[in-house]
Amino acid sequence: MARLDHAFKHVFLVVFSVATLFPALWVVKMAFRADQSFATSMNPLPTEFDLSNFAALFGDALFGRQLLNSLFVAALTTAVGVFLACTAAYAFSRFRFPGRRAGLMFLLVTQMFPGTLMTIPLYSLMEMLGLLDALLGLVLVYSTTAIPFCIYMLKGYFDTIPRELEESAIMDGAGPFTLFWRIILPLSRPAIAVTALFSFMTAWNEYILAATFMGDEQAYTLPVKVQSFVGDYTTEWGYFAAGALIVSVPVMALFFALQKHLVGGLTAGSVKG
Amino acid sequence: MLATVVAVALGTFVFHRYAAERGDAIGRARAEQAARWLLTHGPAGVDDLRRSGTVRLAGVAFDAPPPGSRYPYLRRPIWLAHTEPGKVEAALSRDDPAEKAAADALVQDELVRLPDGGYRAAAGERLGGGERRAAFVELAPPPRVEVPWPGLAMAMLAALVFWWDLARREPASRSRPVVGALTVSVGVLGLLAPRLLAVDRLEVPASVGSADVTGTAMLLAGVVLAPLALVAGAGWRHGSRPSPHRVAYAYIGPALLGLGVLVLVPFLYGVALAFTRASHGEVVWVGLSNFVDILSSAGRSLTEPLSFYFTLVVTLLWTLANVVLHTGIGLGLALILKEPTLRFKGVYRVLLIIPWAVPSYITALVWKGMFNQQYGLVNHLLAGVGVAPVAWFSEFWTAFTANVVTNTWLGFPFMMVVSLGALQSIPSDLYEAASVDGASKWQQFRHITMPLLRPALVPAIILGSVWTFNMFNIIYLVSGGQPNHSTDILITQAYRFAFEQDRYGYAAAYSVLIFFILVIWSFFTQRFTRSEEA
Repeated sequence: MARLDHAFKHVFLVVFSVATLFPALWVVKMAFRADQSFATSMNPLPTEFDLSNFAALFGDALFGRQLLNSLFVAALTTAVGVFLACTAAYAFSRFRFPGRRAGLMFLLVTQMFPGTLMTIPLYSLMEMLGLLDALLGLVLVYSTTAIPFCIYMLKGYFDTIPRELEESAIMDGAGPFTLFWRIILPLSRPAIAVTALFSFMTAWNEYILAATFMGDEQAYTLPVKVQSFVGDYTTEWGYFAAGALIVSVPVMALFFALQKHLVGGLTAGSVKG
Repeated sequence: MLATVVAVALGTFVFHRYAAERGDAIGRARAEQAARWLLTHGPAGVDDLRRSGTVRLAGVAFDAPPPGSRYPYLRRPIWLAHTEPGKVEAALSRDDPAEKAAADALVQDELVRLPDGGYRAAAGERLGGGERRAAFVELAPPPRVEVPWPGLAMAMLAALVFWWDLARREPASRSRPVVGALTVSVGVLGLLAPRLLAVDRLEVPASVGSADVTGTAMLLAGVVLAPLALVAGAGWRHGSRPSPHRVAYAYIGPALLGLGVLVLVPFLYGVALAFTRASHGEVVWVGLSNFVDILSSAGRSLTEPLSFYFTLVVTLLWTLANVVLHTGIGLGLALILKEPTLRFKGVYRVLLIIPWAVPSYITALVWKGMFNQQYGLVNHLLAGVGVAPVAWFSEFWTAFTANVVTNTWLGFPFMMVVSLGALQSIPSDLYEAASVDGASKWQQFRHITMPLLRPALVPAIILGSVWTFNMFNIIYLVSGGQPNHSTDILITQAYRFAFEQDRYGYAAAYSVLIFFILVIWSFFTQRFTRSEEA
């Protein structure tokens, strides 16, 4: 009975996994084909191993530059985002102060601001600050879009850390910073890793703002470049797929490295809190 | 602290030197490039440059030894073209310095920085038969921004010290008032110093100032953190210990300031835009007329694709379909995957999480290809079971389905991971106790799993619904609103008004309505979840 039950579940899971993998394998297949058309055979597995798409991409001097741009923006966004999210989440979790509820509410409300409403004013703001075409402008915008969600997640996690630990430290004369630095942060590594992952993804994957703010090809990030292979009438599927693979692989690697924490980090707060 | 001051001062100096050098290099390179370009393009190039307005002066010269002359050095450049009319004659009479530059360039390439900061470059080449050709350009000085770097750097430093001290607030620290007073004065001095000392104003060419990383970082950090320092510093004037509240604010401050400047200000600006007619840089206050137009669906019947209400219904349908599918599939898979004895659990979990890791615009574009009528894979699969190829994007329901399928592929892993986390935190002895008492699987699910899952699932569903409601990428890139904008949701419609029709005010009003809908929705769900908890 149990065996039958498991077999049934395996069938279900295999069907879903195949459905999940199919489009992804498609991209891999097209990336390793010398052809720029869309692959139409039914077999999603790569049938050839041709690196010409990658060679063409990396042969373009601009592409390397754009890859570096993306890396720089994503890395800095992660650093800024994690720093801001950790400190704010700590305050929201451990202090009771006037404006706390309003602050939390504000964070939630920012998630509802429609992107279209923000694009034009942000453009003006960036122009005013002289940050159009500057990677730093993107870093600033991305780190602020990522943090509300990160703060919520971290706050939930911080809430689950028992206060007794801090109380004994306070007895020993520790101030808020010691508590934050020596107790809260080390205990929250999984949640911080997930926060970092989300910040990284926000910056690494974002396309619309980057396309709007970056007029100079030198300043493009990878998503803008990859998207440029898809035209209204013709699409260079080979280049697109190769670019898509280059963009997706780092994120996937991070995902798989962190997936154990992902499950815990994302929900710990909301379940127990 | 002294070390930091020295470091900042040194850094500022080095940066300034570097920026000046680099600005100079950029100017020179541009001028040189333009001159070389002109040399190959000849008189036509001069016309191009004049029209484009990128250079202040430009000219090309060509000379040849007078035919049959016994004195080949007695020759003057023959001006072929010049950006300023009349210069040709002036050049012929040899009283124009630019002409001299071109003439010099015939001998050797030349590049000079003009006293006003502009650049002049000339390039020449020798052709056969004693003929020579030269070109010169003069670039206006690049636009410059004036930035009080040292002041900002000092203010930033002061702010950092403040923040640090406030955030620590160790009970043992007795030197706080001293530190506070010191840092405030350093910050104020830093801001005033350039004015007081009338030192070099540290102008930086705009091209460098905006693109250079360190410089901009310092500028922004200074702008953002200096007010924080002043606010924090105000507390020390009274010699009081910082209250616990202020410590909390110190921790929130940086995040909130960032959000204020880069989220709240643009948002308010956008809301203000909703009351205007703005396009092509012109802004006219029109009061509520945008909202009236949208809500009365002016010029269209209510059931037409471009009316607000039609789009709203499509958006709600889209959100509902996605949330149901995401939650259903995600929760279903999580329930299966939580089974401790199931084999290859880890493998499945890794495979099923893939869509989450793929950037959504890539997902969208791949699926758009898969739904293509001619070469798309979906039609190939359908052909395999004998269904005629479907033109997915020519009818509403098929296009809508394509969007939903794409977004479901993209969205279920999030719900799966959330459910999985929540399920794992349910103690297994509850189930053991229940099965001892003879509860069926369904009863266990109904009375143990569901109630314990709820606190994690409800917020995730609310967040998911908000994200789906504003899911721009999928709609815009997969169906693109086809056919005839009927599958557009509110957010893509607003985007079209703004960026395809240049109706910024109208688009902003649209966005404000979207925002209100979401606020109302979250208000209801908040009440709902709160009454659940009570």
